[in-house]
Amino acid sequence: MPKPRSRWSAIVIVIAALGCGGAPKPEGRVASSQGAIRGAAEAGAEGVPRATLHMKLAQEQREQALELIKSGENHRAELLLARAEADAELALALAREATAKAEADKVDEELESISKQAED
Amino acid sequence: MTVMHRRVGAPIAVVIAILAIAALVACASARPPKELIEARQEYHRAETGNAAKLVPAELHVARGALDVAERSFAESPESQDAIDNAYIALRKIQRAEALGNAALSMQDKASFEKSIRLTQQELLARSNNKLRTTEGALAKERDSLAKEKETSAAERAARVDAEKKAQEAMDALAKTLAVKSEARGTVITLAGGLVFATGRSAILPGAQSQLNQVADALKSQAEHHFSVEGHTDNQGSDRINDDLSLRRANAVREYLVVRGVAAAAITAIGFGSSRPIGDNKTAEGRAMNRRVEIIVDKQP
Repeated sequence: MPKPRSRWSAIVIVIAALGCGGAPKPEGRVASSQGAIRGAAEAGAEGVPRATLHMKLAQEQREQALELIKSGENHRAELLLARAEADAELALALAREATAKAEADKVDEELESISKQAED
Repeated sequence: MTVMHRRVGAPIAVVIAILAIAALVACASARPPKELIEARQEYHRAETGNAAKLVPAELHVARGALDVAERSFAESPESQDAIDNAYIALRKIQRAEALGNAALSMQDKASFEKSIRLTQQELLARSNNKLRTTEGALAKERDSLAKEKETSAAERAARVDAEKKAQEAMDALAKTLAVKSEARGTVITLAGGLVFATGRSAILPGAQSQLNQVADALKSQAEHHFSVEGHTDNQGSDRINDDLSLRRANAVREYLVVRGVAAAAITAIGFGSSRPIGDNKTAEGRAMNRRVEIIVDKQP
């Protein structure tokens, strides 16, 4: 049976390990957030006002996360990367929404024009 | 010693109990972060919007993120993890809504395109009908023109033929009678002495053959108008000469009508001695002045 002093020492060591950012480096999130930002940019998110805001947020949060990784704060960095990825994915969806709306509006105008022709 | 232990242990247990109760109360009353409140509201909206109808799988993913956020808040209400997870859930819900709206726009676009196709088909059908109608009208017009052309060609041929016949008749007439072309038309002159007895207006039987020839020639020019003019010499009073010339012109007109010349196309007039063509002082001149002229008007 371990002595009380050595038991307390083990507990202290575990708590210290957890407190010192023992989470692994979020390599996967670093890559997937980068991919999400690139995907949104390729979909033209930077040309859609509502999407631009989220693109900016995604980039800022990712940069902040990379700084945290450097200082070993991996757990907080992983959540920030997840936030960045969520913003980038939202920017992509907003870009798709804007594109689809513009295309539908264009076809609607064509329909209106051709319907007028049919009325004449 | 045991008593002492009991005295010291009791306050510690009380303090622990108070701290535990305080922690529970704190947890129960902890306000959720604004990100979580917003995520809950957004999800509530999304449940009845385009995301639920058109992209339910995306909304399901967002629901999962919201559940994570709720658990995170329940486990550690004041933590940054709870805020981050709520933030992520909110973005995923917003993404599902945006994708739902995009899907609706795509549906609208497909529907508009279908309407355009139908309208274009309708316009094409209408245009084809119009074209067929126009083609039909054109074909009719072409037929009509062809018929008109045929008719006018036939009419022209008939006219040429009639003119030829009329000319032939006039040429034949010119062999036995005086026929000359003047400004007022073709003038056929019948010598008064050969057609009428002196002072009379009855046509002599010997003149009938000449008048028959004249009637045939006139009939071949049915589209023209004819004037029969009676003339005398200056012997006797003007009243008598005027009357005699008119009666003689009428006699010739009636004879020609009997021989088939259209009554409406022929008029008679007596000029008496007013339009001599010979010298009334000589017998020859007076004989020339006693005459009946039949004028074929130039214009039909």
